[in-house]
Amino acid sequence: MNRKSTATPRGGPETDVQPPRLDAPVPDDGHGPEGTAAERVGPRAAGLPWWANPRVGLVVVIAVLVLGFSSARPAFLDVELTLVPLQRDIAVFAVVGLAQLAALSLGHMNLAVGRMAALAAFSAGLCYDRFGAPLVVGLVVALVVGALVGALAGGIITATGVNSFVVTLALDFGLLGVVALLYDRFAGGVAFSVRPPGLDALRSDTFSDYCAGSVCGPPVPLLVPFALVALLAVGLFFGRTRQGREILMTGSSPRAARASGIPVGRRIVTAHALSGLLAGLAGFMLATANGAFSASIGESFLLPSFLAPVLGGTLLAGGAVSAFGTVLGATLTSVIQKGLNLLQFEADALQIFIGVVLVVALSLDRIRQVLAERRGVRP
Amino acid sequence: MSTVLDEDMGAGAGQGAGASRRTALSLHRTELVLALVAVAGFGVLAATTGGNILQPGTMQAVLQFLAVPIVVGLAQMVVLSVGQMNLSVGALTGLCAMAAASLMADSGLTPWLALPAALLVGALAGLVNGTLVVLTRINGFIVTLATMSVISGLRFSINGTGTYQDYSPGLVRLGRADVLGLPVVFLVAVATAVLVWFFFARCVAGRMLLASGGNPFAARLSGISNDRSVVLAHLLSGLLAAVAGVLVVALSGSVNASVGDDLLLPSFAAPIIGGVVLTGGVVSVLGTCLAAFIVRLVDVAQAQYGINPRWVDLVVGAVVLGAVLVSQRRGKGSS
Amino acid sequence: MRVRCSQLVKVFPGVRALDGVDLDLRPGTVHALLGENGAGKSTLIKVLTGVHRADGGTVTLGEDGETRTVAFSRPLDAQAAGIGVVHQERNLVPSFSVAENIALQALPRRAGVVDRAAVRDLARRCLAQLDLDLDVDQPVAELSVAHMQLVEIAKALATDSQVLLLDEPTASLTADEADRLYAVVRRLREQGHVVVLVTHKLEEVFAIADVVTVLRDGRSVAGSVPLATLTRGDVVDLMVGRAHTELELSERSVDRAGTPALELRGVSTSVGHRGIDLAVHRGEIVGLYGLVGAGRSELVRALLGLDSVTGGEVLVDGDAVTIRSVGDALRRHRIGYVTENRKEEGVFLTQNLARNVAVTVWDRLARFGLVRDRDEKDLLATYRDRLGIRLSGPDQLAGQLSGGNQQKISLAKWLAADCSVLVVDEPTVGIDVRTKAAFHELIVELADQGLAILLITSDLPEMVTLADRVAVMHERRITGELLNSHHYTSMSAQVIRLVHGESAVDDPPAA
Repeated sequence: MNRKSTATPRGGPETDVQPPRLDAPVPDDGHGPEGTAAERVGPRAAGLPWWANPRVGLVVVIAVLVLGFSSARPAFLDVELTLVPLQRDIAVFAVVGLAQLAALSLGHMNLAVGRMAALAAFSAGLCYDRFGAPLVVGLVVALVVGALVGALAGGIITATGVNSFVVTLALDFGLLGVVALLYDRFAGGVAFSVRPPGLDALRSDTFSDYCAGSVCGPPVPLLVPFALVALLAVGLFFGRTRQGREILMTGSSPRAARASGIPVGRRIVTAHALSGLLAGLAGFMLATANGAFSASIGESFLLPSFLAPVLGGTLLAGGAVSAFGTVLGATLTSVIQKGLNLLQFEADALQIFIGVVLVVALSLDRIRQVLAERRGVRP
Repeated sequence: MSTVLDEDMGAGAGQGAGASRRTALSLHRTELVLALVAVAGFGVLAATTGGNILQPGTMQAVLQFLAVPIVVGLAQMVVLSVGQMNLSVGALTGLCAMAAASLMADSGLTPWLALPAALLVGALAGLVNGTLVVLTRINGFIVTLATMSVISGLRFSINGTGTYQDYSPGLVRLGRADVLGLPVVFLVAVATAVLVWFFFARCVAGRMLLASGGNPFAARLSGISNDRSVVLAHLLSGLLAAVAGVLVVALSGSVNASVGDDLLLPSFAAPIIGGVVLTGGVVSVLGTCLAAFIVRLVDVAQAQYGINPRWVDLVVGAVVLGAVLVSQRRGKGSS
Repeated sequence: MRVRCSQLVKVFPGVRALDGVDLDLRPGTVHALLGENGAGKSTLIKVLTGVHRADGGTVTLGEDGETRTVAFSRPLDAQAAGIGVVHQERNLVPSFSVAENIALQALPRRAGVVDRAAVRDLARRCLAQLDLDLDVDQPVAELSVAHMQLVEIAKALATDSQVLLLDEPTASLTADEADRLYAVVRRLREQGHVVVLVTHKLEEVFAIADVVTVLRDGRSVAGSVPLATLTRGDVVDLMVGRAHTELELSERSVDRAGTPALELRGVSTSVGHRGIDLAVHRGEIVGLYGLVGAGRSELVRALLGLDSVTGGEVLVDGDAVTIRSVGDALRRHRIGYVTENRKEEGVFLTQNLARNVAVTVWDRLARFGLVRDRDEKDLLATYRDRLGIRLSGPDQLAGQLSGGNQQKISLAKWLAADCSVLVVDEPTVGIDVRTKAAFHELIVELADQGLAILLITSDLPEMVTLADRVAVMHERRITGELLNSHHYTSMSAQVIRLVHGESAVDDPPAA
């Protein structure tokens, strides 16, 4: 205890204003404070000029890509061929990204995001198959199962103090086995074949299929509102509610959170439960989009789940999130994917492109921040 | 006034140092426990299958398919030693395997040239990872997430989804050969593990990596460049991933671009079960190898008993969490 | 090697941390560096070890014949020049052996492979120089704190350090361990090293130091004076000076008749406190004084649920309560805690100011479960005006504020939560003199408004200025309680006696 109590340097003015490097991603090698401060400054950093906001860059890049793709292949603007499936992709991967964002808000990770989605989708499928449940009941069950598994992850992390990376890694392995076993046991190994009424409409309809008189809706898939609701709810939760804000404060500094009366353990459980809930929603949406509740749901979720929030300006360090940026990040990757598809690029070029975009986007981000700081934002 | 340099340098070092101290204490016991579990598991398996797995053929298969998990686990362990992660390990293994196969099949190189070239590819990719981490100061997790995507793409760009076969009958013969009942690929993996052990235990460069990972603050005051440690760790990780790729080429006789897809999460499982901490500063080559062996035993048990293969993942998940909990509990007890 | 500093100046925005410091370190001496918190010891050490660059003055190395003036730009330069610092365990790699830690700066090698025999030899040589018998193959992680410190000294010797700075070396050592450390220090002196001892403990200084330098407000008020010429009283006078009594606060009267707002009866804690009795009344400032490591902050942390209270009674407004967490203390008992670890616990450095202040009151600000930014900003504006916080806007990050303003933010969140008891832990450490005075007025004002304040400080003048009563803690026990006469000389003398475990009664207050 003695050492703890003397950990603050006594005496001498403390004029250094750089935050401590809680995540310490790189052992610092004497590059001074500016590099490290930039790392931790969230998107709400005071006084950063507008062009230092990563979302602005994203919007510009997306706009340029859309222009480029549509001039190279006018089919890119084809509603049925491109825009409707594109919106469906964006909707699913935005929700996947939001699920990861919920864990990132704490500075944690959820490596089991795909498998939580799979388990949730299984639960929904089981309800439809065994109990002939209506569509909405399956959705609610999926959300609840996702939230419970997420809460379990959070509970283990809180109770044991083991790194979230390790816990969710173990959980991922475990769920991988569980999900496959469950499908073996209840669905004969592959997928549930029964579809509740409404599922097909949800899968393939857009609002333009529904008309009041001669006025039809826009060509937006019925799945999109799910993502919009998730976006609004997550944005509101982290931006406006006590719980959400307390989670961000916990991510920013767990010690300060504890010393400020925030129930840190409960907030960790809440954040992971939210992550699981959104993963469950994504699992349900993908199963709906695919038209099948199968064990392969969520297999491809892990990487996009990090891509979307990180591109959107959410830090791994915790304490700052951008729900809207996550949607932009998901949009960017989906646009690249669709565009390159149309240009008949192979899957390999696509992956290279996305990887390079990520490196360049993040590097530019750093450069922007350093430039912004040079212009005297810091006191 | 006890920590004069506190706020200026290496904040966060204290926390990491505390964690790695506990682990250092419990590491030997973790290795001991793992060894006991491995021996006991093997014994039970041998007894309950009526000695089936002791048959030369079965035993060889067990060890042959242990080679790649060991080396991939080591590739991840090397970056964990400085508190970094390398998500590109699996993709890089695949890329190097494809590169080696392509050089032999398409370019007609002998294995003597193709395999070193593949190792070079791995080392270069690792160097790029490390340099990007140091230059951009972006979290290594994200950097390697991005390079993983790029490397995955490159992997497919070599031959699309096509498969290489018959690239070098001699090499494949060697890959399936054995010396005194021990498969050659397994011996290569063991030799690699011994080299990695020697590097961390005896070489100045290896000790510097561990110093950087264990207490960056102390390392810096002792004139060690933490940046160089990060770059070196990523480079070695890439090189080891390439070794794994070469082993795949020698072992399987046919490779395609999907090699490495299922290696990423196991690459974390082995060192984590083996007692390596994510914060850096502590490695255990023996623990990583034993953990890979235990995971392999679970596989073998599944095959021998004809259990649903899905149980394997469940058990591995439980082992990962259990191993970390046990070593943490013990660490607490001894500090 | 002789090291001489003359007229060192180090300026930080808004404060002259060093304002003309002279220091003369002669070989073969133990040099004590004394001063109250904020006097500039830290900064001086940072300049000497290359962490900060001096803005003025010179550092010269060497004897009269051949001297050279140096300016270290990084810690390695200072090390190369033979100046080593010893931290508490901070500078060791835990998983490495004793030998390897000692030799880490220049690992003996052969063709890239560590020459383990040479490493051991070097380590044994350094340990022998200190007359220490340690197993050089043992991992440092298995050593006690005391041994780690000795290993650090050996490590400094391995690079041929002629000057060793020991920073508060005995803060976490037992008496026996401290004795052994002193033996090592004496041995180093005999070998012709300079040992600079930075400490708060006067008995330690008088036990082993030869020469003393006392800093006050960034100046050396006694520059390298032989200790033999000074008495303990002289040293205390030099340290505290008279300048600090200038803040004249109006006489305050406290009604101690009613039920105390916070009372401890025979409290013991999981961190070693036994039988603590303490009471704070409404409108009263009770000072809790003691040396670093006496267990004051630990008591408060246990009280607030950050550690646990294991026995005795805690009463809030006369009712026995159990406090499980800070949230509990805040929401159920209206007790706030302004922590001493401002950067780690007091503020969220990477969050904006509005959130930093509103963190305790979001449930109150929320309407239909939603918090509006405008309400937060209004709250911040209120406390900006009330506490005089200098900020550029509500979206500024807390990490961008100066230490004093951060401290005000840390205080503001508890005021916003409308606490009736406030524990303030080392509120003015590292804060410049002007802000400090403003802070003092603020604390008194809060007490006048009826808050019960428990003030923990190691700054004696601050204690004498602010407190109505002073309780002194020594080794996790309350060794005495005094009514504050606000008369500096007599109060400081009494308090310091209590701090060192002596009775205060034989020198009645002069006031």
